[in-house]
Amino acid sequence: MSENTTQQTQTASTDDRSPTDGRSPTTTTGETVEQTRDEWTDYEFRGDAKLAVEDLDVHYGDDHALKGVSMEIPEESVTALIGPSGCGKSTYLRCLNRMNDRVSSARIDGSVKLDGQEIYRDGVNLVELRKRVGMVFQSPNPFPKTIRENIAYGPKKHGDLDTGLLARLLNRSDADERDALVERCLRDAALWDEVNDRLDDNALGLSGGQQQRLCIARCLSVDPEVILMDEPASALDPIATAKIEDLIDDLAEEYTVVIVTHNMQQAARISDQTAVFLTGGELVEYGDTDQVFEDPHSERVEDYITGKFG
Amino acid sequence: MPTVTDALGGRLTDALGAQRRRVREFVDETEPPALAIISAMTLSLLATLVGFLAVSDLTIAPFVVFLTAAGIGWFRYQEETAYTIALMMTVSTILILGLIIVFIFRESVPVIRYESATAFGITVPGLRMFIQPNWDAVSPPIRYSMVPMIHGTVMVTLIASAVAAPLGVSAALFLSEIAPATVREVVKPGVEILAGIPSIVYGFIGFTVLGPWASDQFQTTGQGSYLFVGIVVGLMALPTVVSVAEDALSSVPESMKSGSLAMGTTDWQTMTSITLPAAFSGVSAAVLLGVGRAIGETMAATVMLRGVPRLTEPLVNVFYGQETLTSLIARNYGEADGLQMDALFVAGVILFVTVLVISIGAQYIEWRMHNRLGGEV
Amino acid sequence: MADASQTDARLVESETTETDAVAGVAVGLSAVLFALAVAALFERVSLTGSLFGIRTVTLLGGLLTALGVAVVAFGAGSRLGYVETDPDPSAGLVAGFGAAVPWVVVGGSAASQTLGLGTTVGVLAGTAVGGGAFALTVLPREDVGSTLPLGSLLALTGLVFLTGVIGPTWVWELDWAQQAALTAEFLIPAATLFSALYGGWASAKAYGGFGARGRHMGAYVLVYLNALSIVAFLFVLVAFVVVQGVPGLLNGVEIGLGTGPQTTVLGVSVTLPVSVPFVMNGVALFNDFQGVLPAIVGTVWLVLGAVVLAVPLGVGAALFLTEYADRGRFTQVVEIATNGLWSTPSIVFGLFGFAFLIPRFGNGKSLLSGMITLGFMLLPLVVITSREAMLSVPDEYRDASAALGVSKWQTIRSVVLPAALPGVVTGVILGVGRIAGETAPILLTMAGGTFVPGSQTVDVLGSFQFTSAPPFVANPALLEATSALPYQLYALISAGVGASSNVGNADEFRWATALVLLVVVLSFYAIGIATRYYFRRRLTHT
Repeated sequence: MSENTTQQTQTASTDDRSPTDGRSPTTTTGETVEQTRDEWTDYEFRGDAKLAVEDLDVHYGDDHALKGVSMEIPEESVTALIGPSGCGKSTYLRCLNRMNDRVSSARIDGSVKLDGQEIYRDGVNLVELRKRVGMVFQSPNPFPKTIRENIAYGPKKHGDLDTGLLARLLNRSDADERDALVERCLRDAALWDEVNDRLDDNALGLSGGQQQRLCIARCLSVDPEVILMDEPASALDPIATAKIEDLIDDLAEEYTVVIVTHNMQQAARISDQTAVFLTGGELVEYGDTDQVFEDPHSERVEDYITGKFG
Repeated sequence: MPTVTDALGGRLTDALGAQRRRVREFVDETEPPALAIISAMTLSLLATLVGFLAVSDLTIAPFVVFLTAAGIGWFRYQEETAYTIALMMTVSTILILGLIIVFIFRESVPVIRYESATAFGITVPGLRMFIQPNWDAVSPPIRYSMVPMIHGTVMVTLIASAVAAPLGVSAALFLSEIAPATVREVVKPGVEILAGIPSIVYGFIGFTVLGPWASDQFQTTGQGSYLFVGIVVGLMALPTVVSVAEDALSSVPESMKSGSLAMGTTDWQTMTSITLPAAFSGVSAAVLLGVGRAIGETMAATVMLRGVPRLTEPLVNVFYGQETLTSLIARNYGEADGLQMDALFVAGVILFVTVLVISIGAQYIEWRMHNRLGGEV
Repeated sequence: MADASQTDARLVESETTETDAVAGVAVGLSAVLFALAVAALFERVSLTGSLFGIRTVTLLGGLLTALGVAVVAFGAGSRLGYVETDPDPSAGLVAGFGAAVPWVVVGGSAASQTLGLGTTVGVLAGTAVGGGAFALTVLPREDVGSTLPLGSLLALTGLVFLTGVIGPTWVWELDWAQQAALTAEFLIPAATLFSALYGGWASAKAYGGFGARGRHMGAYVLVYLNALSIVAFLFVLVAFVVVQGVPGLLNGVEIGLGTGPQTTVLGVSVTLPVSVPFVMNGVALFNDFQGVLPAIVGTVWLVLGAVVLAVPLGVGAALFLTEYADRGRFTQVVEIATNGLWSTPSIVFGLFGFAFLIPRFGNGKSLLSGMITLGFMLLPLVVITSREAMLSVPDEYRDASAALGVSKWQTIRSVVLPAALPGVVTGVILGVGRIAGETAPILLTMAGGTFVPGSQTVDVLGSFQFTSAPPFVANPALLEATSALPYQLYALISAGVGASSNVGNADEFRWATALVLLVVVLSFYAIGIATRYYFRRRLTHT
């Protein structure tokens, strides 16, 4: 345990809005359960860890949702988190940018370091943290504004762009910068060609797949270092899913992507390394995607991957 | 108000048309004895209503028939009887609104005739009540002007809205977005209790404490000022604004708020840029309903105002409070008869129509918001 | 026009610094000033007197000046780089208007009154000064814009008090036909109050280091203060009524066996072990202690009658709307009608009862008319809450029942109604609380006396009689006027002090009546809220 670790007993304004798969079902009893070994989750890679998680424990009330998870995530790669429903993978993801702070019943112990800086300690600037660690949610959640405003929202709120009435009056509006940014983000999210003629339409009028790519573009607009994705394709049809997967592949060149999915083929296709969580909120195995899928150390992981369980 | 009543009427005819089709289907499907019982219930209840409207002593007879029919129906054909009774109850709800409209309008007709005035060569009934500012029920020429009371109601409502709208919306934001769960558990019932304190108690405190204090502070002659009536009424309308606005704010999907927070905005930025704009119509409906409450507030105004139906001088003099539409009725119903009583009904009609329009407007706004947010989730 | 470096804040905030501490103290100072202003407004603190050995006005002026200087100093320090902050390029339009409003008032009244230049010049000066404050807020960087105009406003107000330009005896006669004046007694606390709010806002922004976090802080200070004030207001209101009412209520209370009046419980005559004359007596010449028993009993019957009328009607209508009717024009019309009825002013219900019910029930004000009028008022609330409760019963329940071949009415009776019961009950109780305190409708339909003798306590059950003429059943008690608590309080207020001959202390009598009314109404609310918690707990824990 790091010295910096502080106990977080969060009281946010929301009540009981715990993520759906944050609850662990009652632990299996009776049968002998294979023990998790440290070396199965000890993943060696070159370079420094972008995110280093140590002994992360999460409780929702009496519910122990994550148990002592430690893992290091390398830079500019795609890390997939897989596991059955209720294994704590979304909870884990939401710890990485402290979105769990919104859940009043959540208690988080342990340490998460971003570029070596502890994010669970007093005085952490959540605004700065979430700018650097962006997030894309399970179901597309564009704001009820125009496409242009959706993209420009983050930079505007951070004071990087000013296109307000006052700025226009004083002739210091950043409208050109904004439009350039909108175009860049939409191109990066592979959406530009589909929407460039209707940037001022309400974003809620887009299709589900387009909305999700818009959310990714929105996330890129503040220039994050890490992008967290919580089953971004689960609400989409196969064609839209394929587009999102291609996009994630491209993003990994510049960003560190951590993606939760329950689709194992997807994880195998897009990720560089894979972490497997199993029921009860434990991290059972973590390593190169090829290794995890072809030659897992753990029997339970093998059973899960081959579909015998889960 | 012809447009509103027309629209209502149009909807009613449409609704009745649909209902007629359903009745035909219902008749086809139902067994004859059950049908007979239902017809007996319907007819006897109609007869009861007619008897009641005609102030007949014999009203009791069809009512007993109805009760008997309903009793038999309940034991033999419960399914059909329950349906019929529920339908009758629904119809009676609309009927009550209809009766209110008919009776308060009917009572106000004579004075509207009396107060006719000629404008551009056309005699308009009731016009004189709105173009000259004198209310004099005692010495000739007897005049029943609504102008002073409308002025009073407008002043009180403006001040009350200035109190209730910002405080109410801010409290709603606090309850729905900011307060930790434990604090909300305390504050929310508190707001409800605030709504429960009887208006006469507010009025009593205003009369005994606020009135003398205000007349002392502003060196006015006698007590009673629109300013303080407005503040008290605003506090009374506050809970309405808070609870409706809070409903609107919490109906904004959590995913939208999380989306904004995950971009690294502060809670306050999320509230002002995402939550409030998305809930804007609901919040404005809340303010509108609060305004409606303020317009209709009676007892606090009656007890705290001076009860002299005249305009303040100058019109913006909020340190003097004369009379509002509601307090006029509450104060004068006792000694009023004839035309003066009818004039009180005119005040009632103005109140009723204004508040009904506000209520329908608020519902329309809420309905639009529901469609907008509901369409996408 | 922000460059990247400006917003590139550190992930971890530096530890609390002295500057943070200064800003924090400024926020605290604003809170103190706010409290002092409220106390002075309600004459808990005398403006002419002194506080901690200093004249009150001087103290207020000194504190305001200090706060103003601190706010300006913070802004200047941030602009010059002595204080590390994260300001936006501009404080924004909202802050601009916020700062302009008080400056318009100050500039306008100073020009027109203090300098005596007349209204036109006053308006012009006010606009000019306000415009200046607006520009000064909006044009410079945020740290200056959100501190300088407000800080100088605070310092100016403070100096005006300190120098005695506006002292405790200052008066501004408004030359209006109906005479009124602004006195120092009002102006000084009010000005302090608003200045404290502005000061708190500006220093909270400074505490947050300006920028997004600063605005967040500033807004939160105001929102929390507002919530706190509402709760405090409620508490003070209730406490005030209790304190004023308790002496009257406890007049002549005796506790001990055999002290109370006799009553019959389940056929057995019992002497109550406690005597509270105020709620057990009426008013009579030979009573030692007078009371409001008839009004209490009247209120109970009134509420009971309204519930008996409105609850079946409302629940039935809600049932039809949710279970039988298809969503369409008809349900829409009923919805609009119920919502319209819900917001109809209570006095209009009174007028309606007066025109419609009174001619039909013996041409006089009566308990029955009051019951029906209040029932009509309760009806829309019952429809709305019952409907909500029924709509929240999941469709799966209905489908499951229907899939078993159970008929529609049986499904409603055995599945929907029980599941919706908690919501309906809660709604009815809260609605009852509302109508129990209503005065306006019964004013016109029921009324009653100011001081009601105990002999007039209404006895509905004992008054049924059969007659030979239609309508064959009669109940004179229902057709007589009786009193109810809210009406009696109104009558006591409007009767004035003169009519107090046979109740010893009229004021005590009134406050005690108000207290009893408040207790009756709030206990309905307490029961309603408790019921809701009970049902909710039961739902979440099973």
